[in-house]
Amino acid sequence: MLEGINRIGIHEWEVPVGYVPGMRVAGRFFLSESLAKTLEPGAVQQLANVATLPGILKNSLAMPDIHWGYGFPIGGVAAFSVDEGIISPGGVGFDINCGVRLLSTPLLHKDVSGRRDLIDELFRTVPTGVGAKSSMKVSSQSLEGMMVKGARWAVSAGYGVERDLMRCEEGGFMKAADSHFISAKAKQRGIPQGGTLGSGNHFLEIQVVREIFDPEAARAFGLILGQVCCMIHCGSRGLGHQVCTDHLKILESATKKYHITIPDRQLACAPIISPEGKAYFGAMAASANYAWANRQMITHTARQVLSRMFRIEYEEMPLMYDVAHNVAKIEEHILDGKSREVCVHRKGATRAFGPGSRDLPIDLTSVGQPVIIPGSMGTSSYILRGTQIAMDRTFGSTCHGAGRIMSRTQAKKNLNGREITANLLKEGIIVRAHSENGIADEAPGVYKPSDEVVRVVHEVGISRLVARLSPLGVIKG
Amino acid sequence: MSFEEVPHTADVKIHVTAPTLEALFSETFRALMQVMYGTTRGSGTLREIRIESTDNESLLADFLSEVLFVSEVEGLVFSDARIRINGFSLIAEVNGELFDPARHSGGTEVKGISYSGLAIMHDANGYMLDIIFDV
Repeated sequence: MLEGINRIGIHEWEVPVGYVPGMRVAGRFFLSESLAKTLEPGAVQQLANVATLPGILKNSLAMPDIHWGYGFPIGGVAAFSVDEGIISPGGVGFDINCGVRLLSTPLLHKDVSGRRDLIDELFRTVPTGVGAKSSMKVSSQSLEGMMVKGARWAVSAGYGVERDLMRCEEGGFMKAADSHFISAKAKQRGIPQGGTLGSGNHFLEIQVVREIFDPEAARAFGLILGQVCCMIHCGSRGLGHQVCTDHLKILESATKKYHITIPDRQLACAPIISPEGKAYFGAMAASANYAWANRQMITHTARQVLSRMFRIEYEEMPLMYDVAHNVAKIEEHILDGKSREVCVHRKGATRAFGPGSRDLPIDLTSVGQPVIIPGSMGTSSYILRGTQIAMDRTFGSTCHGAGRIMSRTQAKKNLNGREITANLLKEGIIVRAHSENGIADEAPGVYKPSDEVVRVVHEVGISRLVARLSPLGVIKG
Repeated sequence: MSFEEVPHTADVKIHVTAPTLEALFSETFRALMQVMYGTTRGSGTLREIRIESTDNESLLADFLSEVLFVSEVEGLVFSDARIRINGFSLIAEVNGELFDPARHSGGTEVKGISYSGLAIMHDANGYMLDIIFDV
């Protein structure tokens, strides 16, 4: 482990106050010894930087997929006092509400095994990659609907069923959204991209349930062994990126105006109750809503393809759940025995509310919130459930993915997109992508092993394993 | 005058050196376009971008953010830029062509220009910087 960090549990480490100047609280992160070997000093520095921000509560936290980002580390979680704390785009990122959802289907592995035509058809119908435009015509009125009502707008426009909304974090939209704080530029970017996947680590995968760890929870989530599912991973596209860019600028002036000292310009922030803080929060929530609508629109396309090719009903493909990975939200948490509202930033982290939480749909209150951890291309994804331990220790949060360990430069040098595709095909995994570089960039070897990341959160108890899925086909940018 | 991608786990980090501030900006601009669209980029369509800011780093980040915006909404892929800087204001004439999926799909979407670790350095040999593009 890096110097100056104290071990305080089997998988738990503390970054003491004083690690960087001005820390108000200690940093804490969860990591196994084997994952600790790839921990970057830059990521710990970023975790410590977050601890210097005004109004931070308890600890600056990071999940076992911690790695070096900008502003907050990726895997970072921090809650701030609503009265005295700040809100920062550095704790959310450019891709606001980058998130993931899982659709279940009535199909079994044997029904889709070797069906290249399914992956080809999904690749043809779901717009992916740089420069992709949507075939769904989004008017400026529809855009307003996407920003204000999120997935609820999409369902009312015919891109889903009412039940989908019960299975989205926040019911598929944040009520705090205020599209007045979204610039004309952001809107201009948002219109042509409604229903597009994007590039980078975003993907749509056809997967099969390979293992069930918790039969009771799996039953509640509607998952059975051998079942085919569809996972969709994407975010708020150019609209969200522009909102982050625009508001970073505004918040940079606000940081000076409110005399806040920050160790990294990417941590530009403002008091949550200030006009600038409220403007960012309203715009960020509207972007998050756009992302929920976007995932709902892609879901619609995927359901249509599956329905047409396998003669199954649209309603036979229920949404298991949809979670956000990059977001700031006002939530109620218990601190020192008292319930209070706090602003939780999750930057590459997943909400993992435990049993009994008010935001859960009634049929899941006894089980806990479904947590979806996408694997890297070609590797397993995991379904977990939220726990009381997460509520007590991490403001109801857990990891979001595997976390990179190899740089993109190294990946391109060492790995060849064509070879990776051929090797995956030998394992029965079909990959369709626009860019070979993109395949090398996101290949399995560039990420931490996702099974080790989920093992840590399971053993710490901030979420518990429910099921493992492995891919049969992937489409990406 | 050059740019190179240096190892960074999550994002794309670029190291740029140039004899003048203007050249530093245009090299960083070319790096951004190469990351997004690959190396086969033509010219013929011109756009002018004007930016005013409060310091050199913001001027650069604002310029590149504007390039991301214009490139995306107009579907343009740029090859080079002629840049004039006066104090903290900039006028850039950027030259490019329409996005062609057959030639320009080799790259990665850049979501934003990060301020983390962004500092423009200047010594007797010229200018240099490291910049992170969020991808």
